Amino acid sequence: MSDTLKPATGLSRRTFLTTSAVAGLGLSLGFPAVHGAKAQNAGKVIYATWGGSWEAAIKKAWFEPFTKATGIEVVTAQDNNYGKFQSMVESGSVEWDVVETNPDFQYIGAEKGLLEPLDFSVIDKSKIMKGEGFVTEYSVPQVLWSRLMAYNTKALGDKVPMDYTAIFNDVAGFPGKRAFQSEPNSGAFEAALLAAGVAPDKLYPLDIDKALEKWTEIKDHISFYETNAQAQQYISDGQASLSIMPDGRAMAAIKDGSPVGIQYNQSIMTWSSMVVPKGAPNKANAMKFLAYTMTPEAQAAIANEYTYGPVVPDAFKFISPERAKILSGGPQQQGKFIMANEEWWAKNLEEATERLTEWRLS
Amino acid sequence: MSVLIRRHASFLLLLPAILLLAAFFILPTLQLVGLSFEGDAGAMTHYSRIFDRPVYVQVLQRTFLTSAATAVLCVLIGYPVAYRLVTGSNRTRLVLLALILVPFWTNLLVLCYGWLIVLNPQGAVNTLLLDIGLINTPLPLSGGIVAVLIGMVQTMMPYLILPVAANMARIDNRVLQAARSLGAPPLQVFLRAYLPMTLPGVMAGALLVFIMSIGFFIIPAILGGTRDIFIAQLIEMNINKVLNWGFAAALSTIVLVTTLALYAIGVRWFRLGSIWGQA
Repeated sequence: MSDTLKPATGLSRRTFLTTSAVAGLGLSLGFPAVHGAKAQNAGKVIYATWGGSWEAAIKKAWFEPFTKATGIEVVTAQDNNYGKFQSMVESGSVEWDVVETNPDFQYIGAEKGLLEPLDFSVIDKSKIMKGEGFVTEYSVPQVLWSRLMAYNTKALGDKVPMDYTAIFNDVAGFPGKRAFQSEPNSGAFEAALLAAGVAPDKLYPLDIDKALEKWTEIKDHISFYETNAQAQQYISDGQASLSIMPDGRAMAAIKDGSPVGIQYNQSIMTWSSMVVPKGAPNKANAMKFLAYTMTPEAQAAIANEYTYGPVVPDAFKFISPERAKILSGGPQQQGKFIMANEEWWAKNLEEATERLTEWRLS
Repeated sequence: MSVLIRRHASFLLLLPAILLLAAFFILPTLQLVGLSFEGDAGAMTHYSRIFDRPVYVQVLQRTFLTSAATAVLCVLIGYPVAYRLVTGSNRTRLVLLALILVPFWTNLLVLCYGWLIVLNPQGAVNTLLLDIGLINTPLPLSGGIVAVLIGMVQTMMPYLILPVAANMARIDNRVLQAARSLGAPPLQVFLRAYLPMTLPGVMAGALLVFIMSIGFFIIPAILGGTRDIFIAQLIEMNINKVLNWGFAAALSTIVLVTTLALYAIGVRWFRLGSIWGQA
């Protein structure tokens, strides 16, 4: 697969390379004059981000202190999607040094040969939380987040759903729409299997047939959301009375004053990853940057800035108890969560997507 | 030299556009088609998967049917609007043009979220209908084909109205006067003189709407229900999530070939070229 573009793209790649070489020349001629001697000496690291309020948070929590400590400037880039990642690496014109991604990409990207192995003599992985697939040859975790059940308290008449059986087994007791994301790796397959009685430690490999059978029982009550903003809208105004959605968005709905509750029981914890593309222009700086983000101080800084949880447990030393309560992986979630198996998802996403599409049309 | 330039002036003027199209559109499109024939199990790997599993043909069908419905609704709603746009006073024209173009300039996501709020069971439309007693229970307007069509028709309307209006503006009024002076009642003047003359514009507009609708992605994904999956969603998933570009290329090629075939039909039998000023 990594070779499939080669025969076809020869010409355009050459054209593209010439163009970017010209553009790069212009940049390298222009930059030193503009920037201070410190930044010039230590160089830079280009960080591809999801952007938005998250970018503002990592800028404050990570980029500014890192630049202060090392002199290395952090430049952000947008559109960190997998498609762009693959085309950059395959055309040999990589513009990114560190990329934040969903954890499935640490496997998909490695399989397609798009990733640079990380230098664990620079990055200290001993402090990182232990868990399946958390640290790989090509990736470190960034922060924790969860997919969990959120519900509209008004629509449910203050009845509290304790686990996923409320969604799948008790439409009469918990009336209203159930909002699931339109992509399969959104926690709703796991939730269906748990509601069907599968033990949490026997979830993976997921039985897709069994999960979809469970979905069929409530087919008329499911509405799909495409974006997380849409999920927040549905659960806030009661268009859906129950949903499986990211904890951060459910928390944002509560913060906005909407009648929304969160159930941490059976929450499915996952994380975001950071990887380095093969052929990254500032590889050494990328390793230094990743090493910095895996310190307890840096992990605490981002957790205090955004509601995602730290992947380095020592970070809790620098986080107040009130703050800890709203973070993924915080004390409120202990003993209640299940870790997502992202390696299984990376291998089965295509099949699961096809099956879900078939189910939707049947 | 100057003779040479003059003789080839039209070609030279077109040259930048031709080069640009060749480098950034035609070549990549050909690469995409090429990519669709590169599979692990031979050139037809991706195509046989598409035709082996009924789901892809179903999604294609749904995409084409919904797009056709959008085109028909645009014609039914847009035709009278185009007529007023051509025959109305200057003031009417300005107001109509503004109404047509404001949604055209509005961000698609904003439009979708707007409709989500308006159409939901507690939304403005249902509240109004309940209050005036027309219905007893909220209509299921959101999360289904009704919402998808509302969103798509609204977005596509300018592409129908503008070509139809352009066609109407070119109609020779004397033909209609002749029909009236020969004693035809208004309905007959419309049916036998006006409508046939505006049909090329209608066909052109409808085909344009249909072809553009096939590529829709955001509107069905956000406003649609369980079954509203468009082919563009599956292409996007394969490009950006699963990274199976060969398969995405095969899906795209099928859409491309179908679209080109429809365009050829349009040019050959429905004078689709007339929107670009062809006689």
